[in-house]
Amino acid sequence: MGTITALGLLLLIAMVVVGGGQGLQAWLSLLFNFGALFFAMVLMAFHFSPVLVTLITGVMVLAMTIFLGGNDSNSTLVAFYASIIVLLLLVVMIIPVEHWAQIQGFGQEDSEDLEGMSTVLGINYLDIAISTAILSTLGAIAEAAIAIAAGLAEILAQHPKIPLKNLQRAGFKVGSQIIGTTFNTLFFGFFGGFLALFIWFAGVHYSLGQILNDKILVGEVLMVLFSMTAVIITIPLTTWATVTWERQTRQHALKLKNEDTKK
Amino acid sequence: MLKKQERAAQSGWWYRWWPILIVLIGGLAVLGVAHDDQLYQTPILKIQSTQVVSQEKQSDQFQNEDQQITQKLHGTITNGQYQGRRLTVPNTYMRSQSTTQGFHTGQKIFLTLHHQKGKLSATVSDYKRDVALAFTAWLAVSLLLVLMRFSGLMALVSVIVNGVLFWLAVSWNTTTQGGIVLVIFGGLAVAFAALTLLIVIGFNQQMLMTLLATVGGTAISILIALAVFSVTHEKGVYYESMQYVTQLPRPLFLAETILGSLGAVMDESTDIIASLMALKTEKPDISAKQLFASGRQIGGEIMGPLVNVLFFIFVADTLPLAVLYLKNANSWGYTFNMTMNLGVIQSLISGIGIVLTIPLACGITSLMMGGKFSWGRLRR
Repeated sequence: MGTITALGLLLLIAMVVVGGGQGLQAWLSLLFNFGALFFAMVLMAFHFSPVLVTLITGVMVLAMTIFLGGNDSNSTLVAFYASIIVLLLLVVMIIPVEHWAQIQGFGQEDSEDLEGMSTVLGINYLDIAISTAILSTLGAIAEAAIAIAAGLAEILAQHPKIPLKNLQRAGFKVGSQIIGTTFNTLFFGFFGGFLALFIWFAGVHYSLGQILNDKILVGEVLMVLFSMTAVIITIPLTTWATVTWERQTRQHALKLKNEDTKK
Repeated sequence: MLKKQERAAQSGWWYRWWPILIVLIGGLAVLGVAHDDQLYQTPILKIQSTQVVSQEKQSDQFQNEDQQITQKLHGTITNGQYQGRRLTVPNTYMRSQSTTQGFHTGQKIFLTLHHQKGKLSATVSDYKRDVALAFTAWLAVSLLLVLMRFSGLMALVSVIVNGVLFWLAVSWNTTTQGGIVLVIFGGLAVAFAALTLLIVIGFNQQMLMTLLATVGGTAISILIALAVFSVTHEKGVYYESMQYVTQLPRPLFLAETILGSLGAVMDESTDIIASLMALKTEKPDISAKQLFASGRQIGGEIMGPLVNVLFFIFVADTLPLAVLYLKNANSWGYTFNMTMNLGVIQSLISGIGIVLTIPLACGITSLMMGGKFSWGRLRR
């Protein structure tokens, strides 16, 4: 048995033992996301527009992660809507920044990997860089949206008549509780993954100026910053989505009640 | 930090406006970075006009087609001894821009100068990216402080502190030639966790329990990974595909995995233990068993999204290389093995850590807090 198969099966067993049906869903969402990412990559190699492929993949990934992750159907729906808005806002931020920073493709540190490869590609690597940045934020968007929506759903379950203003404040309170630890998830996730590059920098004694203008490092730090921005704007947007949803539900309920009394 | 709180209490004005103030100062700093050319020893050219010299079609043995463009960049040197000197620099790039890059008016580039028979000429060495980086960092920090205020500031402080520690550890690793990379980063993982939790939670019993669950969960996942590695003889683990390796790849890979999953495991144990503590305050007589069950419920909800966060971080950035492999007529399987393989393995190991942290965090909390004869009660 290959190592990946063994680890994957172990993860499945652990998830099902600890989380039951929900564990199975979590494992399936990971499998689906891998498939979506790989499929998107193949489509890009077949010259489909990378950014368009990424947007479609992104919406699918958010849907799968959020609907297979959460329990309560109302809060997952709100989380999904909010995450789509966050995704679109991020795209608006990522495209100009990537045009400005010009971190597409490979840096001089990659030359060993590129040996013997043809770089006559015919695919715009700036688009690939934009797609990479968008894809790397998807997990963070989904996680933050679920956390806020679920936190607010719990508050609503306990206090069904909470004033909408207080509900909004509660959203920011839940946000302030998750932001510190979520930032660390992102920080360690990215910097752990790029430990080798940092060791390279330290070993070859790059100057600060070289590091701050290095193609690969700037690209990587931009991805961390995009993900952090995603989490930051997910907090007010998910809160706002929940408040709007709740307001409409209440208005609807009120209307039904009024109609009842008229009869 | 304390000073800030005291001052905040003293003055409502300061309390209200400090995020805006930091945003303004940060904006000035970004402006400063945009005019920092004098700080560089490498000569910088500001491009004032560009001119396409030639365009020709290129193709390779895999029937890929691209365009090679040669351009001339006219501009002025903005720093150093040749400041003010006008210069024309040639640049050749591929339209796909995977390893080369085209430039246009207004951009700044670093130059390598050549002196030939008293004549000054130059070639492009790199593009100046620091302003774009500073601007994006400023944007993120501004949003963070304006929207999340004090909790945002604390999150920022913990990231900065961890960043400094991380760099110190990397330097230390370099002085030891990478011989004890696992010891350094394993040990530092504990220090990272302790420091972060101190900043986020403060020093108390809850912090100690969270620390124990975090370190325990990460350690267990690595031990399980090592056990699986020895059973499967690391079949299908392609260390040779690891990028930027300057030392022995296997311990480096494990160190990367420890650090990568640490944040997520910490995130999760903080969530579970904080919720269980709140539950305990609400219902003081809750039994250990009930505590364990609700912890499992909370953990089950967050584990899926968390594993996916790490998966996208670990695997998405292999996309450019994977597309390159596919365009070089490699099979899907080979492309996967050479690019995504290690990222997927890291995600799976971290995933196992994230899942097993749930019973660990619940167990620790219910032992310490639950029931009538819990350790927490005995101590009182």
